[in-house]
Amino acid sequence: MEFKEGRHRILMVSDFFYPNFGGVENHIYLLSQCLLKLGHKVVVMTHAYANRSGVRYMTNGLKVYYVPWKPFLMQNTLPTSYGTLPIIRTILIREKISLVHGHQAFSTLCHEALMHARTMGYKVIFTDHSLYGFSDIGSIHMNKVLQFTLADVSQAICVSHTSKENTVLRSGLPPEKVFVIPNAVDTTMFKPAPERLSMDPIVIVVISRLVYRKGADLLVEVIPEVCHLYPNVRFIIGGDGPKRVRLEEMREKHSLQDRVDMLGAVPHAKVRSVLNSGHIFLNSSLTEAFCIAILEAASCGLLTVSTRVGGVPEVLPDDMTVLAKPDPSDMVDAIKKAIRILPRIDPQEMHLRMKEMYSWHDVAKRTEILYDRALRCSNQTLLERLPRYLTCGAWAGKLFCLVMIIDFILWRLLQLWQPDSEVETVPDFKRTELKRG
Amino acid sequence: MADQSIISNARFIYVHDNHKFSPPHAVDSHHIIVRRSVVKPIVVYLFAILLVAYAAFLHFEKGKPVTTVIWTFFFGAVLVKFFIWRPIVKESVIIMPEFGVQLETHYGSGRINRCFIPVSKILKSVLNEHVTPVTCCWCLSLLIRDENELTLVFKKSRPPLKMLVPIWKALCAATDCKESFEFQEDVLVRGLY
Repeated sequence: MEFKEGRHRILMVSDFFYPNFGGVENHIYLLSQCLLKLGHKVVVMTHAYANRSGVRYMTNGLKVYYVPWKPFLMQNTLPTSYGTLPIIRTILIREKISLVHGHQAFSTLCHEALMHARTMGYKVIFTDHSLYGFSDIGSIHMNKVLQFTLADVSQAICVSHTSKENTVLRSGLPPEKVFVIPNAVDTTMFKPAPERLSMDPIVIVVISRLVYRKGADLLVEVIPEVCHLYPNVRFIIGGDGPKRVRLEEMREKHSLQDRVDMLGAVPHAKVRSVLNSGHIFLNSSLTEAFCIAILEAASCGLLTVSTRVGGVPEVLPDDMTVLAKPDPSDMVDAIKKAIRILPRIDPQEMHLRMKEMYSWHDVAKRTEILYDRALRCSNQTLLERLPRYLTCGAWAGKLFCLVMIIDFILWRLLQLWQPDSEVETVPDFKRTELKRG
Repeated sequence: MADQSIISNARFIYVHDNHKFSPPHAVDSHHIIVRRSVVKPIVVYLFAILLVAYAAFLHFEKGKPVTTVIWTFFFGAVLVKFFIWRPIVKESVIIMPEFGVQLETHYGSGRINRCFIPVSKILKSVLNEHVTPVTCCWCLSLLIRDENELTLVFKKSRPPLKMLVPIWKALCAATDCKESFEFQEDVLVRGLY
């Protein structure tokens, strides 16, 4: 592919990518695909999964490097500060990258890659996908690491205004550097059923990981109450996790086996058919920066009932969703209201509205504008960049400066050992048209 | 009449015995020779000698035990082995069209390892990117019938892509692979070959 002017060569870095499925993973994949369509070159770097290691190619020539650093805790690579410098340098040079885009504050590989990319003079962008706390010891440490990484980032992206506020407070980054680009949904994949479902029974769908953060405990309180109040309501619960046992117990205790279906883990390809079997989508998360699940449900024409937490109120217009406090009685009231307004909902009309409001191509275009901005930032030497780290704290600032100086020295030593010219660049492959024979 | 084409870089020399004017069934050989650097051995020997001399000085003048000298001698020997001793001198690929491919490895000790693969067993030759925890390089491998793993053509050397491409093309031609020659044209256009 001939490389046109104004086209960028982007390296997406995160610990979270295919073959895992989740918000961050889908975001990186779909954003990369849309950027490829716009003519940019995108390469993804992540750690090796099980026996998936080395270079793989995905749809449209998306190249993925599964670097053989095994994950050590919750999908994260072992943080060695300088261990990943050689491989990151090799990938940046051989793919002729112009810009590095890191995803998710919880990813150690992302932080290391951004640090090394800054040392080597590349422009760097960071996207934060989740909300984090301030008070527990894990959050305090992570916020400090985030402060370090974002001290010298070119631009930052958050998926909602609530998330922007959270990131700015945690990292001390000036708000002018943070941009809000919401996630989107693939409306071609999530379409309502062609035939409208009958209103009897009313089916409420829940699809989420059954963990504490996603409010599985709230479901345990809410479901029996709703089943008691409305004899014609059924629940379908898709997903798996440590709290599944509690839900099974609730089913047994209230004899709801015929009214509550537990589907177990639902593969991503089957989510649409599960959503299409329901009228209302119930989301009980205790914290959510954005919530793509609600978008998928709305795209399939379901009325959404959700907890009013984090960035959820920013996702859908008021007539497509009913919000409640994360409290069982408030949620039951919200479900009552949803059942009342359900006859007024037209799934096809909802789907068309979603199509106009959210699109990954729009997200890619907005991200492209940010890339152009980032590349226009001036190049700075190490001495010009160090004062930014000093503002991170009385002791932390000096420690971070030392870390960056050592990184710089290690980079120069690596350049002596293997000069940049010795690293071979990868030829750009032409993608030939499929010949139908 | 054999024609030789040579590509070299700091670490390897690639020699291709090109039998352009010989009968079509003639043997085609490609050799990758590992280069000897001139400066590195001098520096390493000098360092080892200095180290042993210093240990000897410590033993005779300062009265340190003789084991210090022995340890530094061992350490020097390890340095020499690690930095200078070339376990592999040359790796060759000899292609006999319609018959098979022979892979040879010439060691520094004089030993030669040969491995013959008949052409019927070769499914395809591929250029793979080999990712390690610290680096990424190209390697040429063969897909062999009934075997789960790829067979590396060059076991120890990692020559650059511009040396691997002509060998890959020759292997493809010999094993009769007709698919995906677009890469070759693309590579030609970019002057890599």
